[in-house]
Amino acid sequence: MNFDINTIVYILEIIVGGLLVGIGVHFVPVGGAPAAMAQASGIGTGTVQLAAGSGLTGLLAAGLMMSVTDNLWLILASGAVGAGIMIGSTMLTGSWIYAYAVGVPFASAKVNFDPITGFSQPPYVAPGTVGQGIPTVCFTSGMIGGMMGGLGGAMIYYPLYLINGNAALSAMFAIGIFLVNAVIASWNIQGTIEGFHDPKFKKWPFAFKACAIASILLAIASVLITGGA
Amino acid sequence: MSLGGAAGGAPSAYDPKKLRMYGLVGSVVGIYIGAILNSALDTNLFSFIGAVAAIFAVVMGANAVRRVCAYGIGTGVPSIGMLALGMGIIAVMFGLSMAETLGSVLLGPIIILIYAGVFGYVVGVIANKVIKFNIPVMEEGNADLSMAGAMAILGWSFAVSGSLGYVNILNDVLMTGYIAIIFIAGGLAILHPFNANLGPDEKQDRTLVNAIMVSGLAMIATGIAAIATQGLAAGLLQLVIGFAIWFYFFKMFYRLVKRDASAVVGTGLLPPTVQ
Amino acid sequence: MDAFSMGLIAAMGALATVAGASEDIESDIGSQSNPNSQVQLAAQVGNPHRIYNKAISGEPPANALWAATAAMVAYTLITAFQMPALLALVAGASVAALFNGVFSMSSYFGRNSSQKRFNQWVYLDIVRYTTPSIMAHAWITSFCIATISYIMVYMLPTPHPFPMTIIALIWGLAVGAIGSSVGDIHYGGEREFQNRQFGCGLNTMLSGQIVRKAEAGLRNSIDNAWFCTKFGGPATGMGFGLTVFLDNWRTTVFDPVTQASFAIAMGLFFIIVMVIYNNYIEKSTRKKYGPYPEYKGDIAA
Repeated sequence: MNFDINTIVYILEIIVGGLLVGIGVHFVPVGGAPAAMAQASGIGTGTVQLAAGSGLTGLLAAGLMMSVTDNLWLILASGAVGAGIMIGSTMLTGSWIYAYAVGVPFASAKVNFDPITGFSQPPYVAPGTVGQGIPTVCFTSGMIGGMMGGLGGAMIYYPLYLINGNAALSAMFAIGIFLVNAVIASWNIQGTIEGFHDPKFKKWPFAFKACAIASILLAIASVLITGGA
Repeated sequence: MSLGGAAGGAPSAYDPKKLRMYGLVGSVVGIYIGAILNSALDTNLFSFIGAVAAIFAVVMGANAVRRVCAYGIGTGVPSIGMLALGMGIIAVMFGLSMAETLGSVLLGPIIILIYAGVFGYVVGVIANKVIKFNIPVMEEGNADLSMAGAMAILGWSFAVSGSLGYVNILNDVLMTGYIAIIFIAGGLAILHPFNANLGPDEKQDRTLVNAIMVSGLAMIATGIAAIATQGLAAGLLQLVIGFAIWFYFFKMFYRLVKRDASAVVGTGLLPPTVQ
Repeated sequence: MDAFSMGLIAAMGALATVAGASEDIESDIGSQSNPNSQVQLAAQVGNPHRIYNKAISGEPPANALWAATAAMVAYTLITAFQMPALLALVAGASVAALFNGVFSMSSYFGRNSSQKRFNQWVYLDIVRYTTPSIMAHAWITSFCIATISYIMVYMLPTPHPFPMTIIALIWGLAVGAIGSSVGDIHYGGEREFQNRQFGCGLNTMLSGQIVRKAEAGLRNSIDNAWFCTKFGGPATGMGFGLTVFLDNWRTTVFDPVTQASFAIAMGLFFIIVMVIYNNYIEKSTRKKYGPYPEYKGDIAA
């Protein structure tokens, strides 16, 4: 096990990957249980669940790309795009249900005007709720968050595979590091967040510090693992 | 998943320190006995002891989930289970690889335990100081969870592979993909008991019996896996013992349900409301 | 790119659509994940009910377990006994369905007996006739996902480097996340509270007031699932089918070794189309439905 400049680069890549996962979780609009009842805007599921689902789909795409090429940028891009497609399909089909089955217009109660489209929000918020559906700002924020998660997952997988050359070992390791960072970031969010326009988003530096500490410990453990004789 | 119902500080009939000691000692001693017996007698038949050792670790983990989640951390029970398993798998791989590099296979469980305990404690400190949860049991609860997850994964990996050597575990458990079922069955074994018994009248013994019952199911799964990696005899032995554990503890769970529920009826209309 | 691999991709897309639909119906019959919080709350506010309270951790880890179990058993049968693939996948799905039955029953018993002070009873006939339906849908879901993993590892021209069980775990997490985000809204936002006015979100005053008395007799979970198969299930199937199909179609049409950048550009194109489509839905609902008449503020609609 030779400890040289490459190892430092790998450790940094794993840490950056973990940070991308942690901060990406803050972008995904998660409404939790209330959103599933059209009581809050965002996707109606848990933070960790959605982050894990999308980020690991990106990891699948990146794993396939890494078996045929060595180009870092292609692998990262395919991880990001894979996760982006998954989150996009999720949010789009969720919008169908909100618009046609429940019959509600999309609105968020956290802002008065949508930052991207300029649509007004309060007249379209149902009484007794804090918004419903997935307005354009939440959709875009979710897309960014999903792609960051996929990018982070691919960036964790890449150095691990180069160190130990074993796809299954690197995959399980990447899943483990991904889940630890996603759960710590979700603790920071305390359950629900609407995206980068939500006032809760300003808490991201805490998650940055927390994920950095956890990722450093995990990265040091990861680079010391061999791939077996 | 739902958070309603549990107040801060779940009542315990069994002291958490005792459960932690039983869990750690039971799982570590069990894995060592299985490993030594397997290598001394050059056989595979004692791998099932690893799966039984994992049950001790799962009970400790399920109790830790009870204590931490009772404070309402805002993200629900499933994330805690996933965290425990994420921490556990990294600790297991790191410990086994280190033991291989240092030369002695039997050092593995000790290194895993130390790394898992330290890392879990650090995550608990991060939660309390950086994210500012200020939950009293967070540090030791997280350390408990991390060690429980690591020991459970190690126990089941040993049950599937039959030896503690790093290369054996890599070939039998990781390259075949069986690590995935160990990971998710272990995670659900730790988080399902508290989640499935959530409510104001949750009783600790019913929750822990549920944990043992789910571990029996996981042992059936590792038994099926062991048929491929260790041959029909060792695999069927694990399968049968796992089925027996599951059956016995499911009946005990049902008996506790009849004790605790307000009524268990064959059929009926809506019960009279309280308010 | 050739006819055989395009046919495989089409089969994967179809399997994924069916898996998504059956996963959502399985979670609706059992009232799993987020709408379950209302079912749990109902007893606490004085509305004991006959709905199946299946609380297995939320859908992604649970579906990951069924899919990984099916894939693991199938892999064992294929490698140790050289069983034909289809038979092995059927056997794997059966084991996964049995595990599902145990988890569902333990959760119904456990949750209802922890609500003793609200006089929520444990109905054994609900367990007897609802659990087999849940198990059947879990069978379909785990069979489809295990088959997708098998195709990705053993049949595609660029096979995937991960083992079959790990791929099944990841797709199980994905289908659970999609089912929880898409289909559960149809159940939780529409069917669970069907006695309130259509066209608005759930008012917080109505929390816990789920429908307990149905069209004829008492509402149970099979009635809920009947409704959700009309829209929620197929929409979830579309979501998961789009994910699996678009992800794998790009890398099969454009050879990953030589034309990788085209595949990535195609993916970005799909993402942009989705953003624009969502914006179109938002504009059209605002125009068709209009603002709420209860709004008394001064921001123009």
